[in-house]
Amino acid sequence: MATAPYNYSYIFKYIIIVMADCPHTIGVEFGTRIIEVSGQKIKLQIWDTAGQERFRAVTRSYYRGAAGALMVYDITRRSTYNHLSSWLTDARNLTNPNTVIILIGNKADLEAQRDVTYEEAKQFAEENGLLFLEASAKTGENVEDAFLEAAKKIYQNIQDGSLDLNAAESGVQHKPSAPQGGRLTSEPQPQREGCGC
Amino acid sequence: MDQSVAIQETLAEGEYCIIQAVQGVLCEGDSRQSRLLGLVRYRLEHGGQEHALFLYTHRRMAITGDDVSLDQIVPVSRDFTLEEVCPDGDLYVLGADVTVQLDTAELSLTLQLPFGSHTRMFLQEVARACPGFDPANPDPEFLWLSRYKCAEPKLESPTPGGWNSAPGTRPVCATIGGGSYPSRKRVWGLEEKFGLRDTIVKSLLAQKEGEYTDIQNFRFFVGTYNVNGQSPKECLRPWLSHGAQAPDVYCVGFQELDLSKEAFFFHDTPKEEEWFKAVSESLHPDAKYAKVKLIRLVGIMLLLYVRQEHAAYISEVDAETVGTGIMGRMGNKGGVAIRFRFHNTSICVVNSHLAAHMEEYERRNQDYKDICSRMQFCQVDPDLPPLTISKHDVILWLGDLNYRIEELDVEKVKKLIEAKDFETLYGYDQLRNQLAAKTVFEGFTEGTLTFQPTYKYDTGSDDWDTSEKCRAPAWCDRVLWKGKDVTQLSYQSHMALKTSDHKPVSSVFDIGVKVINEELYRKILEEIVRSLDKMENANIPSVSLSKREFCFQNVKYMQLQVESFTIHNGQVPCRFEFIRKPDDESYCKQWLSANPSKGFLLPDSDIEIELELFVNKTTATKLNSGEDKIEDILVLHLERGKDYFLPVSGNYLPSCFGSPIHTLCYMREPILDLPRETVSKLTLMPVWTEGDSSQLESPLEIPKELWMMVDHLYRNAVQQEDLFQQPGLRSEFEHIRDCLDTGMIDNLSASNHSVAEALLLFLESLPEPVVCYSAYRSCLECSGNYMASKQVISTLPTFYKNVFNYLMAFLQELLKNSAKNHLDENILASIFGSLLLRNPAGHQKLEMAEKKKAQEFIHQFLCNPL
Repeated sequence: MATAPYNYSYIFKYIIIVMADCPHTIGVEFGTRIIEVSGQKIKLQIWDTAGQERFRAVTRSYYRGAAGALMVYDITRRSTYNHLSSWLTDARNLTNPNTVIILIGNKADLEAQRDVTYEEAKQFAEENGLLFLEASAKTGENVEDAFLEAAKKIYQNIQDGSLDLNAAESGVQHKPSAPQGGRLTSEPQPQREGCGC
Repeated sequence: MDQSVAIQETLAEGEYCIIQAVQGVLCEGDSRQSRLLGLVRYRLEHGGQEHALFLYTHRRMAITGDDVSLDQIVPVSRDFTLEEVCPDGDLYVLGADVTVQLDTAELSLTLQLPFGSHTRMFLQEVARACPGFDPANPDPEFLWLSRYKCAEPKLESPTPGGWNSAPGTRPVCATIGGGSYPSRKRVWGLEEKFGLRDTIVKSLLAQKEGEYTDIQNFRFFVGTYNVNGQSPKECLRPWLSHGAQAPDVYCVGFQELDLSKEAFFFHDTPKEEEWFKAVSESLHPDAKYAKVKLIRLVGIMLLLYVRQEHAAYISEVDAETVGTGIMGRMGNKGGVAIRFRFHNTSICVVNSHLAAHMEEYERRNQDYKDICSRMQFCQVDPDLPPLTISKHDVILWLGDLNYRIEELDVEKVKKLIEAKDFETLYGYDQLRNQLAAKTVFEGFTEGTLTFQPTYKYDTGSDDWDTSEKCRAPAWCDRVLWKGKDVTQLSYQSHMALKTSDHKPVSSVFDIGVKVINEELYRKILEEIVRSLDKMENANIPSVSLSKREFCFQNVKYMQLQVESFTIHNGQVPCRFEFIRKPDDESYCKQWLSANPSKGFLLPDSDIEIELELFVNKTTATKLNSGEDKIEDILVLHLERGKDYFLPVSGNYLPSCFGSPIHTLCYMREPILDLPRETVSKLTLMPVWTEGDSSQLESPLEIPKELWMMVDHLYRNAVQQEDLFQQPGLRSEFEHIRDCLDTGMIDNLSASNHSVAEALLLFLESLPEPVVCYSAYRSCLECSGNYMASKQVISTLPTFYKNVFNYLMAFLQELLKNSAKNHLDENILASIFGSLLLRNPAGHQKLEMAEKKKAQEFIHQFLCNPL
């Protein structure tokens, strides 16, 4: 245990759904990063997947136990925006009521090709009770903010007690443990020594 | 003095106070009461152990059990937590005390414990004593504590049930991913356990320190005073506040604070408070100071103050003592030290009182070395070796070092002093000579001595010692330093103070301290954290797949199709597995399998995976009906890593194999000539169709495919030896299947054995057996009664009845040629019994008795006229 490269107070599980007609990934990417909210180090376990209709059924299993869901559309392609509502339904039905859902308009750097206005998406987000921001994965603008915004909100939910850490699927772990790569089921995995770093 | 000895005396057999007790302050509202804390372990009879914290009220210094009295017991139960808290409003960095909060389901206590390694070790031991959350371990019951419960009236029980939580009232722990987690509070000791990443960040930050720090000068006052056991009698301002500018940091050391035996043996003296007060009152009036730390070993005391505005930049404060007196351990001689971090510079201040007497300079050198080697400070990370004095950026060493002036007689010394020829006198100074010989204080610097020796005076005067011993004057009291960016501004004695036989010495320094530029620090810290994230993510396994989508064209009944692909591993060893989706029973549909479906890959290695598609009797019907399709998504999971989705698609060619008898009867055309929807609709038709078949084309009496096979055998194989007992050829089966499904029966050319086997496979693949499941039980019951058996057969749906009779007629025909084909009733009954009658429960292994009855049932129809 002493060699495990972790020290942080919480682990938040995030699922990122990138609305796409031509996907950047077929499957689920898995990654981690550490951020700081209110002086607390938080380890994010990020499941990143393409919101392709044909994989919708399989993707459903990844929502389970997510503390945050990031729904990403492309501001230059309305089709990706139009897909949102059905995926949002999944996100709502398959996560717990406290899961923080954040809507992200990607490619904010391509203003000239904009196909979805900020106001329209903002309104959609408000109507559906989502956090919203536009970002650019290319320039990096606001991407960090998206992670942070969601984490802040989750942390706030923990602080005011509305997110019960003892609930089975809160998506938040308080004590570091072995990272569980994209396991579909919630069976515990044997811990392996952290070999990194 | 180890006070756990006193605690141990109060304990019962089997109970052990396992670590040196800590004296702390119990805070309840505004009340502050001293308590002695002992961690007590009890060994259970069946093995295993339980722990509890015992809190005692006590006399000033507990030596025996009579000095302590049990106040309360806190069992270290599963819901026990111990967390470090920051008291509101206090400058926590002053760090002298560690405030901890103890919580169990029943109570919550706040305690202040003295800063330092004893407390740290104590807390670590408590953290270790926590029973953890392994469900395999039984909950601690604390039965052994019951003797304290009633007998000890002082023990407060908050509820009648006492402190021991009843089973079931324990809060349920969060279970995420199967693990159990303790309460949300930061559990003490956790950080230490999981500190590696912090350690890496710290060492990388240390490497890049220059990039985010600026050197800023701070003024340090360093003073030393051997007070010869006296109490403060005069104001210390002439010594402590002689400069115009208020120092930023005060390091004030005393020796011979208390020469009484009590101080020596019990480490306790009222002088500590007296001198502490005297110093606090005489600090520079232009600034407000906060005490960082006080450390004392018998008569050697060191005080550290900082200006209040700097308090927030003081961290990692620790203090230790090393005794070098009698037996090399006692505290009449030795040193005390306080180490801390000021902004980003680590500083260690040492106050030592080295061995006395002119000739003992080698003993003094040895004392110095002992202090250096034995003075060890705790590291935040327990995996790192303890910190020593030399591991600091700046070391300030003060004290009564006791080096004398040698080779000169007293009169000569006094003459040189009178002439203020300190330079000449300095030539005879032992410390100077030992420094020059590099036998002590290596790497240290001392400023020029421009003041007369500070020892030894008649108390209350500036007169040299007039006692019998008539000690020669000496520069006993000294200040040395080691480190970069240290500038000595003054080095002097203070003749005005006359309380002691020594004069106090002071030195003022400007010390260049590394001050963090917050903005740059943030940026570099961010970079480091990002690079660690990157490294961690680079250690997540990743593979490449030679193919990610699989299409199986024109899949046919019982015809294996294989698609293969290669998994090429990246640089991280990985375990892979095709995993089940939550609602599925298997990782893929029944007609598919991956070979191998899990495995392990070394870095940069390959493995070939074969996806095998095979439709058999179990899966064919639903593919015919369209209820199932050749469509699936495999999820290839890498342990600790990503998941890959592998879509599988294709089309299935419907076959008479796997189609029900009645469905085939309604198919006047070959199955492959029919539209997909018709096949689907007919396949889904229920067994009992007679009533509402008016809208359909008039059906055949029996399936044409069955007729084709039987007719072929009737024409070619009635005399075939070992018919139904020799296996056919797989290739010929495929040909027969294709002929039947396309209606090209004229092209059929296959061996009799292959056709016979195809017939058996056909019967086997029927989703509803010829003797329908619903009739199975009654058939077994009337087996042996031919009339009753015939009666049961007559109740079957028309097409099934037709097929049964047709087959029996054919089998009787075969028996007529038994001389040639060697068949008899028993052989045929045993082959067809289990094909025509099948247990509805679908058990593969039928009981022998049941099998026998099924054979008997068929047997009757073979040896009796139909």
